[in-house]
Amino acid sequence: MTPPIITLIVNDLAIAVKNKSVLLIIFIPFFVFISLKLVDQSARNLTRATVGFVRTEAFSPEMTRALSATGSLIHLLPIRDEAEGMRSIRDKKIDGFLKHSDIVRDKLILVVQKKEAVQTLAIIESMGALQHAVEGGGSSWVSEVRSVEKGGIGIQLLPTWILMLVLLVGFIILPGQVAEEKEKNMLLSLLQTPMHEMEWLGAKVVSGMLLSAVAIVILHLLSNYRPEHMGNYVLFILLGSFCFCSYGVFLGLLCRNQASARTLGVIFYLPHLLPCALADYSPQLSACAPYLPSYHLLEPVRALLFNKYPLSHFATDWLYLATVGVITLTFSYLLIKKRWLLS
Amino acid sequence: MNIEIHNLTKMYTSSRGLLPTSFTVKKGELVAVIGHNGAGKSTLLKTIAGWHPPDSGSVLIDGDQVSDRKKVIRKIGFVPELPSLFDAFSVQYNLTLFARLFGTPSSRIEEVLTEFDLLPFRQSIVRNLSKGLRQRVSIGRTLLADPAILIFDEPTAGLDFEITNEIHDMLRGFHAAGKTILFTSHRADEISSLATRVLMLHKGFLVFDGPTDDYLRATATEPISLP
Repeated sequence: MTPPIITLIVNDLAIAVKNKSVLLIIFIPFFVFISLKLVDQSARNLTRATVGFVRTEAFSPEMTRALSATGSLIHLLPIRDEAEGMRSIRDKKIDGFLKHSDIVRDKLILVVQKKEAVQTLAIIESMGALQHAVEGGGSSWVSEVRSVEKGGIGIQLLPTWILMLVLLVGFIILPGQVAEEKEKNMLLSLLQTPMHEMEWLGAKVVSGMLLSAVAIVILHLLSNYRPEHMGNYVLFILLGSFCFCSYGVFLGLLCRNQASARTLGVIFYLPHLLPCALADYSPQLSACAPYLPSYHLLEPVRALLFNKYPLSHFATDWLYLATVGVITLTFSYLLIKKRWLLS
Repeated sequence: MNIEIHNLTKMYTSSRGLLPTSFTVKKGELVAVIGHNGAGKSTLLKTIAGWHPPDSGSVLIDGDQVSDRKKVIRKIGFVPELPSLFDAFSVQYNLTLFARLFGTPSSRIEEVLTEFDLLPFRQSIVRNLSKGLRQRVSIGRTLLADPAILIFDEPTAGLDFEITNEIHDMLRGFHAAGKTILFTSHRADEISSLATRVLMLHKGFLVFDGPTDDYLRATATEPISLP
């Protein structure tokens, strides 16, 4: 006779298969592995860096000759002035630019988006090797690396935490809530009142947006950092929350119970978070991240946190977020109309 | 208030659900829908209540399609087998929430609490209540909008003798007040003591439709022929 414990274990495994928890077990390690693999590979297989140099400043001819000769590693691009360099970095047209150091004579400052980005390390490494080859040693051409992003690492990571919170509410909390209301027939009971289906959907999305907003406000209070352009910054976060809350409600409506909703939520959560969060460290991830709606929240939030931009500068991003939000909301409405998996 | 069902069909799988069914329920009738498990009883009631959209056919409430929610939503009240309440909240909270959604005045909440003997439990958390009390809250919540048609899916399933009698008295009271009632049941005593008419379903087919006395006579002499 099979011992009861074995029977119970088999039963538990069957439940895990039934509510798709087993997919989660497979999916998380798989996804983290793929992401790390891409990050690892990127260190060995970097794309060519584009480095600007201020046209009006005089650089040593040996250095410019050496840098120009290594076309496969560094592509030199003349820029008008420092302001254009800053703009080009933010618009991702160049990876960094060189200017004369105002402290150390005959030395250079490398201005980059992020000091800890893999592309920055590659530029420094290449320039160090060139300098060694041309001058046979001595001190490095670059005496300082500056980042265009302000604040410490904590502030620089703030947009990623914001994305994490928005995605957490959208993909983990809301689908579970929606599925619970379905599972316990609460949604059908609510639909027995004169309330319109769209009101229920709207309430769910707005409650999710409020949860995200509270979490983000707390995050800002703790980090004690005020965005450069508060109005546009708040607007973008609200738009991003709308997009992911609509998305989450839709996922919840696809599931019959809470367990499968949370599983499905995590399955969507990681692919929306990791490629964007790790995009700076991997050319492959940075190539695929723009296809995700999360990227169109993270990048504008990051830019608006540190700089003043008009909303029109992010037209593609807000259109993308609004479209995803509206489409998922429409699908949710159709699922409720059909009473999909309800009761 | 009349209920007209025309060729109503709702199938979950090729062999489970409700096959084309037609009948009419007149105002003030107390109809028992009976049949084995999986016969299609709950499907029929949920489709009449608008919980499920039908695959084909129609449900008319006083000439209005049940799919036209705006017109019929206040006319039908559905009490599911398992009370669907926000169980982490109090009785009062649940009633207030639904009263607000129905747009009924708060005095109606007091009326319902009094009518269903729920006053001592108004602040109690629903999940801490007994099954019978939860069923009373569920019925009370449905009665908030005072619908003319009441639909009960197995209203006494799993309840003890005393609570069952209480529910029976409630049903008789609603019937006496002129409401049209449909309920599903497996219990012969419930059918004979309450229903004025019986609808019997078997594997999705409507196999009997007639007064309760006729049904009791028919089953006493020979079994109803099944397809």
